[in-house]
Amino acid sequence: MPGGMPMLDCESVMRQLWDFLDGELTPERMAAVRAHIEMCKRCYPQHEFEQSFLDAVAARRRQHSDPQRLRRRVADALRAKGLSDA
Amino acid sequence: MPGQIMADERKLQRDREFHAEALRWLPEVTRFALSLTRDESDADDLVQETYLKAYEAWDTYTPGTECRGWLFTICRHSFYRRRLREERQVTCDDPELEALAAVAVHASARQGGYADLFARFDLSEAIDRAIAALPEAFRDVVLLVDVNDQSYEAAADTLDVPVGTVRSRLFRARRLLQEALIDHARDAGLVRAQTDAGANRHES
Ligand SMILES: [Zn+2]
Repeated sequence: MPGGMPMLDCESVMRQLWDFLDGELTPERMAAVRAHIEMCKRCYPQHEFEQSFLDAVAARRRQHSDPQRLRRRVADALRAKGLSDA
Repeated sequence: MPGQIMADERKLQRDREFHAEALRWLPEVTRFALSLTRDESDADDLVQETYLKAYEAWDTYTPGTECRGWLFTICRHSFYRRRLREERQVTCDDPELEALAAVAVHASARQGGYADLFARFDLSEAIDRAIAALPEAFRDVVLLVDVNDQSYEAAADTLDVPVGTVRSRLFRARRLLQEALIDHARDAGLVRAQTDAGANRHES
């Protein structure tokens, strides 16, 4: 099939699933894995499970309650060490 | 005194670079410090220490290279210097075998009725505990890649290990976290109600 995407089997998709979810594959690989997952009864649930796991972990990213206060504190400490206000 | 003026000029230039290249990453360094300390006041101390060390060592920074990774490295070293060092030797498995092991974890999750565990339940505190319980080398990659959204390459740069090591540690760490969270769900009886309802329907 000229111009078609390489056919992937389930095992090779599973081997690359984390790299795929992390966006670490080449654009061609990303497209090929995505195409397989969308139409595969075995790989799709696995993909959903792992994606929901990564979303839950990423949601543990914390925000500082007062970033401006911290910025002032760091700036003051640096100024005391000689940093000029460039 | 032209020599003095030259020195002042150089210092000003150096300080300008520090502002432009190092201080712009303050929000990212803060977020990374928060994920390491899990305590805001400890994070504040750690961020300040990181920037003071970075300023002192600014001449060793190569302009144009990944400054955020350089700051993360200083931050991480400062953090671990305050704590007892853990065993740093970790066996490094084939990342692809680790990736395949995820299939087995998912299969056991489905069997236990936990296929939608992460989508359905708020596991925030259990996730924090599970990350904290990971061995240091595994915790590092999870914090960098999964919590602080770094690429494999940026994480490898910060940790000064090959990208392949980041992948294998990351995939192993994810498996350890999932197993811990599935254990937690089982102990907390998170899906018992659903399973019982299914069993009752089956019996009647
Ligand atoms: Zn498949």
